[in-house]
Amino acid sequence: MVSSNTFHVVATELVVGAYSLAGIAFVFCLVCPWLPTSLKEKRSAGDAVAHSALMFGIIATPFAIWSGLSSAPSGDMGSPLLANKMLLSMSGLGLALGALVGRWRIGAAIWETKRSSIIQACSGAGATGLMLLTASAGGKFSRGESLLDWLHLPYNEVMLMPTYLSVILLLLGLTCTVIGFRPTD
Amino acid sequence: MFQLRVKVLLLLLVLLGSTTFGAAEPGGNGDGLRDMQCGGACHGDAGQNATSSLSLSIETPEHVWAGQPTEVTIVVAGVDVSHDEDLVGLFLLSSTNANGDTPLSNGWEILSDGSGGTGNYVERSTDGSGASLQHTWILRADAIGERTLFASVHHGDATGSSQGRPFFGISEAFVINIEPVPEDLPRLHEDFVPPSMREVGEVTLVELQTKFTETVAVEWQTEDGVTLEASVNASGEQVWEFTLPATLKPSSLQWRATFTGQGPEQTTPWFTLAAQVTPAEVDDRPIYIQGLAMGLLLFGAVVALQKPRTNSEDLLKTFDQTVEIQTIQAADSVVESTSDAPAPLPEGGLPPGWTEEQWAWYGHEYLAGTYGGGQ
Repeated sequence: MVSSNTFHVVATELVVGAYSLAGIAFVFCLVCPWLPTSLKEKRSAGDAVAHSALMFGIIATPFAIWSGLSSAPSGDMGSPLLANKMLLSMSGLGLALGALVGRWRIGAAIWETKRSSIIQACSGAGATGLMLLTASAGGKFSRGESLLDWLHLPYNEVMLMPTYLSVILLLLGLTCTVIGFRPTD
Repeated sequence: MFQLRVKVLLLLLVLLGSTTFGAAEPGGNGDGLRDMQCGGACHGDAGQNATSSLSLSIETPEHVWAGQPTEVTIVVAGVDVSHDEDLVGLFLLSSTNANGDTPLSNGWEILSDGSGGTGNYVERSTDGSGASLQHTWILRADAIGERTLFASVHHGDATGSSQGRPFFGISEAFVINIEPVPEDLPRLHEDFVPPSMREVGEVTLVELQTKFTETVAVEWQTEDGVTLEASVNASGEQVWEFTLPATLKPSSLQWRATFTGQGPEQTTPWFTLAAQVTPAEVDDRPIYIQGLAMGLLLFGAVVALQKPRTNSEDLLKTFDQTVEIQTIQAADSVVESTSDAPAPLPEGGLPPGWTEEQWAWYGHEYLAGTYGGGQ
């Protein structure tokens, strides 16, 4: 039987690997118009890599979150680091899902206008950044050090909002989602 | 293209070459129940491990009886000789399988890890330990027979050429013979489990269950070595009670009991009782709600911003002929402007009686023979 600790290590490595690849591909797609012609032609390949890696990362993320909670020493948010990990990973998951749904609805034409390509690349690369921060917080929690230590990030401080504010944000998110999916005649 | 690939390859090689070896967890990972594979490097490459030069041995009492607590001590020799360890992690293992190798997998019960827990792994500072470090667990075997135990250590090196490297070492196998308990031996009941952890400021009432015991004496000692006797009262048939005082700060005390009866007098190992301040219970719900809200808000924002073109916009684009109309209008204006130009003069110049202004206005009609009704 694989322990939740081991499973968490496997799941996080899959998540971090997939998101890193997706992040690089998103940035490539964004800067493609300014690259030499030989590289410009590779944008469709970059688009495919970005979104398939992102989809893989999205599939692996819930497993990483669940196994992370199971392997936490007290089984709950007993540490501010764990709370930050939850907030960062959920935010990253939201951005990534938004980027993937946007690509699914618009298709490859998403890269044809400046506005949509900037939004798409920022969403994908932003999701990658949030996931890398989550992984860094995990390293800080389990080993006491992380690759991003030089940034002196305040992992031990949680920006915890009052519940009513969270509920308002939740409703705002629902409203945005409904507006986004509502067809405009 | 080939040059570009070479450049990318060189960049990757430089990035790989610039990585440094480092101890996986220099700050320790906390006491617990862990397999030997954790002596490598969780989240790291166990292949980086170097062999520790520390010498490991296991000490046990002369007689180890089934169902009775027994002290098992790991002795680490050579501390701070070859390496500057700072912190060492000690494993008590039942095999070297690297997985499923804690004493629990081989019929042992860990009653105390000597640090207030019941795990097989403890971390100890080497500060002030001298060249030798000892740590004692209290185990209980469930049946008679031969059992094997291993001691294992992992640590880093704070100075010198090996600074930052992880070191790992494991002892030879120590075979322990578990004997049957003599029938009339005054002893602890097999079901007794000593408390190992309590809250700071909490007085602990310990209820001892015994067998073949007529009297019980209990002594306890604080961390600074002061030993005191506890008052023991019989509260039932082979059941005894005594109280251990509260501590004012997180610390530990040890206690042991001496049993007298028909058989030879018996003394238990020193049991450790640690006191801690449990952090206040955290309500997880606000964190989950906020996480969900942030995720949904970001998702909704991206979805709302990245709306596909609607059907009416598509229709507009399909039937929008603005460009074509503008092209036709431009062509018409060219034709019109061409027709506005004065007609070319005939070979003989202006017809007699015509002025240039008249020719500019009616020259085309003159040439077409329609000027003045064609007459």
